[in-house]
Amino acid sequence: MTDSASPKGAVAGRGWFPLLQRVVDLLSMPALALLTAFVLGAVVILITSGRLETVGEAYWGLLRGAFIKQRGFSESLVAAIPYVLLSLGLALGFKTGLFNIGVEGQFYMGALAAAWAGQAIQGVPALVHLPVVLLAGAAGGAIWAGIPGYLKAKTGAHEVISTMMMNYIAFRLTEFIISGPLRAPSGSTIQTPRISPAAELWALWDIPNRLTAPLNALTLSLALGFGAWLIARAAGAGGQHAPDGASAHTGIGVPVSPFAGLIARITHHASRHLALVVGLGVALVSFVALPPLTRLWWPFTDEYDRLHLGLLLAILAAVGVWWLLWKTTIGFELRTVGANPNAARYAGVSITRNIVLGMALSGALAGLAGTVEVIGVSICRCLPLFFSSGYGFDSIAIALLGRNNPFGILASAFLFGAMRNGADLMELNSGVSKYIISLIQALVLLFVAAPAVVRWMYRIKAAPRAAEAPLTRGWGG
Amino acid sequence: MVKRTSALSDALQLAWVRLRRSLTTILLTAFGLVAAWALLNLVIGGQCDGKCVVDALAQTLRVATPIAFAAFCGVLCERAGVVDIGIEGKMLMAAMAAYSVNLFGFQLLQDALGPVAAGNVSRWLALVMAVASALLLAGLHAVFSIRFKSDQIISGTVINILAIGITGYMYRAFLAENLPAGPGTFPLVPIPLLAEIPVLGPILFHQKPLTYLMLALAVGIYWMLFYTQWGLRVRAVGEHPRAADTLGIDVLRTRYINTLLGGVVAGLGGAWFTLEAVDVFSPLMTNGLGFIGLAAMIFGKWNPFGALLGALLFGLGNSVTATVSIFRPDIPSQIPQMLPYLLTIIVLTGVVGRAVAPAADGQPYEKS
Repeated sequence: MTDSASPKGAVAGRGWFPLLQRVVDLLSMPALALLTAFVLGAVVILITSGRLETVGEAYWGLLRGAFIKQRGFSESLVAAIPYVLLSLGLALGFKTGLFNIGVEGQFYMGALAAAWAGQAIQGVPALVHLPVVLLAGAAGGAIWAGIPGYLKAKTGAHEVISTMMMNYIAFRLTEFIISGPLRAPSGSTIQTPRISPAAELWALWDIPNRLTAPLNALTLSLALGFGAWLIARAAGAGGQHAPDGASAHTGIGVPVSPFAGLIARITHHASRHLALVVGLGVALVSFVALPPLTRLWWPFTDEYDRLHLGLLLAILAAVGVWWLLWKTTIGFELRTVGANPNAARYAGVSITRNIVLGMALSGALAGLAGTVEVIGVSICRCLPLFFSSGYGFDSIAIALLGRNNPFGILASAFLFGAMRNGADLMELNSGVSKYIISLIQALVLLFVAAPAVVRWMYRIKAAPRAAEAPLTRGWGG
Repeated sequence: MVKRTSALSDALQLAWVRLRRSLTTILLTAFGLVAAWALLNLVIGGQCDGKCVVDALAQTLRVATPIAFAAFCGVLCERAGVVDIGIEGKMLMAAMAAYSVNLFGFQLLQDALGPVAAGNVSRWLALVMAVASALLLAGLHAVFSIRFKSDQIISGTVINILAIGITGYMYRAFLAENLPAGPGTFPLVPIPLLAEIPVLGPILFHQKPLTYLMLALAVGIYWMLFYTQWGLRVRAVGEHPRAADTLGIDVLRTRYINTLLGGVVAGLGGAWFTLEAVDVFSPLMTNGLGFIGLAAMIFGKWNPFGALLGALLFGLGNSVTATVSIFRPDIPSQIPQMLPYLLTIIVLTGVVGRAVAPAADGQPYEKS
């Protein structure tokens, strides 16, 4: 679709052309990789089933399951949420020069920590409990990733092997804790106790009911306010350029009224702290307006729709990672260590600190993904023994497909979530095993990881751009 | 005559220096063995007698087999400068290929050859197909990392995910249910006379064919790498490809060959799972042993014997775990199961001396 758009852009005018060219440039490789992977997947289906119709049935089933069937679209979003968080973690690692292949284990540890924190405290409002559980989950993942990070920084133990080993330890550990110390006393199924209702991440349909309690309304409005602050901050509002209010103050000289100076000073400060003002404003407005408004009209009414506030969390995480990596000193240091550790060392940047930090942040995001699955998605609102998994490897493909860019990741995570969600109906529809999805995803990763292959296949000349920094490093560290 | 003696004494001296260098490793190993035995007896209350120890050591060698194959694959690839993280995937693929060929080959051949002969033929055929399937993935890895110069760790990860996808798909499609009875795994092949030696016999010479093959490969690869022209060239390519190229060694060709040889070895390791260990295939059955093999390779400092030692160490961890869970069913099985993975991390941190990888490991070679 992007390819057909490019000539139009050329006609439209000079200004648009470079932008479109860039968009086409950015999207063509992932699009071609996806296309090739799906074509090869079709070939595999054709060979194993022996019928051409099966291919159509399978892909049609996939499409229907992902978007068209009842709750299909929102289930795709539900599946995309952990993908976003996990691949953001991976991308953050990649940018720091770390291949955190153990996100799955950190996902488990985050889930475990959240399940524990969710049931350990009872009777506190969501305003306290929800942040505590999210922090616990993030901490669980951060610690689980921080250990290999520390070992890498101090001893050179390569993170690919050590996080992989941490994965297996995490699987055994969660299995042991769920079936032993943290097993729910009642019930025949092996799972952790149900978390307190205050620790649950609200389903979207449930929001009007939840908001009837003022403290809950405060929680949501604070979250929204924080989100608005983050987005405003990330968008570069406030701080950078000289405030316009100053000219009003000094330019005219004589204040028109005694309040003008005050107003000018307020606007001055307001523009300096615009992000904060926006955040507080959004929080205030939503606190006042949301409860009555949602009672009047709310688009999500389906009680079986599992789409939850984790969606907001995922989007905020993407903005946050983008802001951290490209707009803060911390992020700059992380990226410097990733791009050129020697230069970073000469510049006085601590390699050890940044490797541990990069791993811990990466693990924290993965832990959040596990948390979200426990407090937002799981039916028992607990951590069951056979926790659904297989997110870890997919996330690598998602991060690379999104080119390690948080917003690219949002898009590719949705795509993969849709594929994961549609797979069931595909299997039902055509009898093609849903493992074909992992096959296709592996192929996507294959082609995305080696753009040279795609270029060679489609006879595309390499774009004359500077060599990209290597994603990973050998054993030497 | 004089010259000969001096050559002999030189060789002896060299051997002595080598031995002294590896003395620490040997001592550590011995210490580790004794410590493991003491710890084991402590945990299980002194129930481990002589037979139990011999059994545990035989088990150690058995479990070390796939890890050692994986480590050898790593040694072969990385000595030539190609990082191979997709060993796990190759083994998984080979395990599935071996299982299905063994099973369905047996069905086809049963009527023609009779059950015994059909079993033998299908098992060896399965071994060949296991190697072939791993070779296919190795070829993919080689093309991606050598021809297209893509990131080798990513390429290896792709191999892993691809293998999970393919084996999962095939398992669901053909291997999950309604399976006929298969011919089973390789039988034990006690080596005549040697198997009668009191302690060593049951440990070393009462094993299945792939285990013997693994031991032979350790010697073979060591000799090839360090005592032949081929090995010198391979190591040159891994350490300084530019210099090797200048001397007329075809760097890319060497890398292709070694990556493919690694694939063959990984295929043997994968075959172990379904032709020697158990007679079923299950998804993800390799359980990280490929990665543990890589750790064993690093432990062994990219030397086949060292890698074998590392593999034996993990095998020991595994068999101690198994013994503990037999004698102490009250200990939750997950706790001892973590041990080998924990051991891997400890080994990686270089407690036993820091390992230095081949200098050009993981770097694509750009011919100038």
